[in-house]
Order: sequence, then C-alpha cells, then structure tokens
Amino acid sequence: MKEGFRQSMAWLHTWSGLLVGWILFLIFAAGTSAYFREEISLWMKPELHQAPQATSLSQAQAADVAQQFMQTHAQGSNRWTITLPGEREPVISAFWPVPQAQQATPAPAGERRRQRFENATIDPATGERIAAPRQTRGGDFFYRLHFDLHYMPALWARWIVGFCAMFMLVAIVSGIVTHKRIFKDFFTFRPKKGQRSWLDAHNATAVLALPYHLMITYTGLVTLMFMYMPWGPQLAYKGDQQAFFSEVFPNGSRASLKPSGTPAPLVPLSGLVKQASDAWDGQPVLRVTVSNPGDANATIAVSQDNTRGVSSKQASMLFNGTTGELLERRGEALAPAAETHGVLYGLHIGRFANPFVRWLFFLSGLAGTVMVATGLLLWAVKERQKFAKGGRIGFGLRLVDGLNVAAVAGLPLAMAVFFWANRLIPASTAERSPLEITCFFAAWGVAAVAGIAWPARRMWQIQLAIGGLLFALLPVLNPLTGGAGLWTTIPQARWAIAGFDLTVLLLGLALLACAWWIGKRKAARQPAARATAAAPSRSANASPPAATEPGLVTARNPLNPSGATP
Amino acid sequence: MSPLHITLALSSCVAAFASLGLAMDRHYEDSYGRGKEPAARTRQAFRLIGTAGLLLSLWACVAAVGASQGWVFWFGVMTVSALAVVLLLSYAPRRTMRVLQGGAALALASGAWAALAR
Repeated sequence: MKEGFRQSMAWLHTWSGLLVGWILFLIFAAGTSAYFREEISLWMKPELHQAPQATSLSQAQAADVAQQFMQTHAQGSNRWTITLPGEREPVISAFWPVPQAQQATPAPAGERRRQRFENATIDPATGERIAAPRQTRGGDFFYRLHFDLHYMPALWARWIVGFCAMFMLVAIVSGIVTHKRIFKDFFTFRPKKGQRSWLDAHNATAVLALPYHLMITYTGLVTLMFMYMPWGPQLAYKGDQQAFFSEVFPNGSRASLKPSGTPAPLVPLSGLVKQASDAWDGQPVLRVTVSNPGDANATIAVSQDNTRGVSSKQASMLFNGTTGELLERRGEALAPAAETHGVLYGLHIGRFANPFVRWLFFLSGLAGTVMVATGLLLWAVKERQKFAKGGRIGFGLRLVDGLNVAAVAGLPLAMAVFFWANRLIPASTAERSPLEITCFFAAWGVAAVAGIAWPARRMWQIQLAIGGLLFALLPVLNPLTGGAGLWTTIPQARWAIAGFDLTVLLLGLALLACAWWIGKRKAARQPAARATAAAPSRSANASPPAATEPGLVTARNPLNPSGATP
Repeated sequence: MSPLHITLALSSCVAAFASLGLAMDRHYEDSYGRGKEPAARTRQAFRLIGTAGLLLSLWACVAAVGASQGWVFWFGVMTVSALAVVLLLSYAPRRTMRVLQGGAALALASGAWAALAR
C-alpha cells in the first residue's frame, strides 16, 4: 500500500512538474534576476554610470532639492512622485504626469488620450537633471515578465502564472514524498553516470534549497492571493475595494482630493521628511508623493523604507500640503493577519535583504532554475530509455526535447540578446524600449523554432555556446558603448555595476562550460557507441543517453544511440 | 551586518555540513578509502560537531541581523554551504577533513573575535 502511494506521488510529481515546467523555468529565471532589478536597470542606462556614487546630503535636504527642481520643471502637474536617495540609489528620481495643456499633439478625435509621464533623475548635489538616460525598461522588464508575461493582458498572465505556481507547489510536496532518501542522499552527487547524475543534480538543487523553493512558491501565490481568491475581503469590506487595499498596502497610492483652484504655496518637504523619519525611529524615507502641488488642497504622502523587519508593509504618513499638519498615519501596529501577509509578501520580494542576503536569495533562485531545468531534462532522459532498444522516437519525447532546448538554452540566449540590444540600439531611437523587448522575443522565437525543429545535441551546443558568448562578452561591450568598465568600477568599488559585469561573465562561462561538456560527452561516446554497436541493448544500459539525443537520427540508426555518424 | 558575522555564519556552516557528511558511510569511504568505516565514537563526534556548527551558524545569523531576518539569512547560508559541500564530497572527497578543520578554525577565530568585540 505504501509503495502504491509513493508510486502515485511519483506519477503526480512527474506530470505536475513537466506540464508547466517550461513556464516555471521562465518564472524562475526572470524572477531570480529581479533580485537585482535596480542593478540591471542601472547597467542598462550607461548614461548614469558616471552619476555620483554617494550623497553627503541628508534625505531631508535632498527632499528640498527635489522640491525646487519640481517647482521649475513640473509646473502644473497634479502629482509628483519623488524617490529619495537611499542605500541602493544615490540619486533622486522623480516622475510626474504631464498636464494635458502642455502636451504637444492633441488627442485624435474619439480616442481616449493616454496619460503621458515625464521622469527625471536628479543629482542631489547640484539639483540638476542628470543627462536623461536612454529609454529602457531595464530590470523591470524581467520583473514584470515573471508574473505578467508579455503580449497578453496582465490578468490572464497572472492566472496562468498562479496556475503554474499551484502545480509547482504540488510538484514540491509530491517530490518530497517520492524522494525516499532525502537524508541518506543529502550530499550525494555522482557525476558521469547518465540518468543517475541528472537525478542527483535535480535532488541536490531541490533538497538543499527546499526552504527557499517552498517559501518562494507559496509566497508567490500570496502576492496575488486577492486576485485569486477575492471573496473574503469582498464580503468583509462589503465591496469597498479601495478601503481594503489601503489597509493591505499602507504605502499604496491614495485617492487624492480634487484641486480647489485656489493657489497656495507648498510647505518645505524637508520638515515633513524629518518628522516622519523621527516618528519611525530613524527609519529612512523611500518616497514622497505630492498631490495637487501649489493648490490649497495639496496633500503630501511620505512612505517608509523599511530596512529592519522582513515585512513588506511600509508605514506611511499623510500631511496637509499647505500647513504641514499630520492628517493620517498608516501601516503601524498592524493586526496579526496583516502582519502575516506583510511578512509573506516581504519574503517573496526580498526588499529587506542587505547585499549579502540578496546574493543568497539570488543563488537559491539559481538553484531553483537549475532544479526546473534538470527536472525537465530528466524526463527526456528517462523517456528515451524506452526507445534505446531501437523503437521509433515518439512525438511526445520529440516535443519535450524541442521545448527543453527552447526554454533551457533559448531563454538565456534571449536574455543576453536583450542586454546586447540595449547597448546596440542607438539611444535616441524613438520607441526604444519596446524595440529592446521585440529583440528579446525575436531571439527567443528563433531559438525556440530552431530547437523544436531540430532538437539535437548539436542544437544544444550551438544555443548554449551563443548564449554563453553573448553573456561573457557583456563586460567588454559595456565600456565600448558608454558604460563604466570593470577596470574603473572595481577600483572605485562601484559594486552595483561591477557586480552585474562579473555575474554575467560567470553565467556566460557556465553556459560555455555546458556547451563544451556536451561536446566532450559526444566525443567520448563516439568510440564507445561503435564498440558496443553489436550489442545495442547493452550499450544503452552502459551509457544511458544524457541531455538530449537527436530523435530522428536515433530512429534512423537504432544501433547508434549517440546519434553520431561512425 | 558585519563581514565577521558573515564569515562566522558561512565557515561554521560549511564545517558543520562537512562533518555531517563524514558521519555518513558513503562519504567517509570516499574520503578515506574503500571499506573504511568510522568508529562509533568518531561518528558521534562528527554528528556532534555538525550540530554544534549549525547552531553556531544560526547564532551568528541572528546576531547579525536580528531574529526575523536572521532565520531567512540562516536558511540561505545553509543552502549555499550545503551545495558547496556536495561539490566538495563529489569532486575532492579527500580534502573533506581539511575543509572541516579549516572551516572550524575560521569559525572559532571569528567567533572569538565577535564575542570579544561585543
């Protein structure tokens, strides 16, 4: 009976993992990169590489600098959103909606005009705008990609991603049940043993990062739980979504008052920033949002940059914009349920993490990505054994092989292309950031079609090698296209930029090593395949096929399972 | 979070996992030759060192960033250290004892320093 249960769990693990595996690979890879979203964005804006590294101004002083800038540059706009300099960003960034009257072209008749935003990066020392960086989505693209996907409404995408995450949770739990020897095989990795090695690698990356996998999958569902299961709040708040969300996300945007039309000067922001930070026991301020600046009905929201706990709940305060009177405090002394939600949410996004912990998260995320990849490959390796004696390769296996190439080799390649496109598309090109994204999907599309059409060992090698080269050469491309190269960033200890270069270099080398390793295995197996050609069944047992086999070649030449021409 | 705490957390965790690995027959054989088996007391000592190392690592994590973030930190440290020990036991099993000793020495030194600096 026990064996029966375990077998059914193994079946569940296999299929729940395989069905959504390729999307999970995308979610894991893109989500892992999102831990360094700010750093990726910075790298992708080489104009900012020369920007000041640290500011000696306090946040309150920086707030006044920002206020002055906005008063001259954002005249007439009804909302300023200002992010103050903090630990990870030494500059002020701000954005504001451009008033209708100032927009150059009138909206075409019958069409609702899309609100246009302008943004600026401000040097706190000079109060001047830093050369407007190129238009790019930067690291936000991968961040959005990991739950909004692309080319489809965000709502659909979130349902798809949630569905996959649910399957992932099933796969994790059934995987734990299936794995009989979690502790006995805790440290076991047996290289060069075909299927055994793939299983060991899958187990090691799964078991050793298990707390992370469980946490990230579960909390991932929590981040979108109010979309998946809205009924509780709907009932409790009698349909008043606004009231509910303002309690769940205390630093979210507020409904602002209508402007009165009576002009009134804005209070200096510095006092409010200082007051808020003091009230929060010295915690820094993240963002200042001014609604209706210059109007009698102005309000100013100041939100906290929570650096101490794990929770994502960041307190905020609302002030009257003309008198500076404190109107409201939010997000302090939370109810247990809200606190729990904040901690789970906070664990997922990892904003609290200092650089070292952030690296641990990143490495665990990479382990998860490798776990998904090895799981996918393992299915193909196992399935192939059924055909090793000379049967015709089935459609299912061919499809899985193709999709494996498309995801596991194609996605890194496309990510590298995205970074290259960022540097090679001229900075002044109109509609630049959609173009970068098009390059990403075009590269991925080509890789996927090629992979599905010809899912051979050679194809793995080609795609991994191209992806690896593109990644490994990014540190060379960076200084050539206006960025700060490693020889300036390392001596100056600018780790945000140097870290990106070093990480992609290592990733590139790892991909190249995989490509080289595939080639080596092929070369090593060529004579072996010839020697055992007389006993095909033995040859299949002696060297179980590794990553991929060219399906068609094997079918044509069943005596030579390596697919190499003798 | 100081580099001292990071060193302590990582070194004690690596030493602990290396020790726990050596307490297992398969890895002991890999490290000391086929057919070798740790004596019952040695095995117990390995397990004791392993447990102590993990606890020390947890202490370092909590001391570094406080209780709530400390647990997250500790799980991350364990994941990375365990992956490193897996590679060690598979590709350089004979060095395991040396890594265990080196890690323990580093952990004791940084632990003493951290205790004195408080």
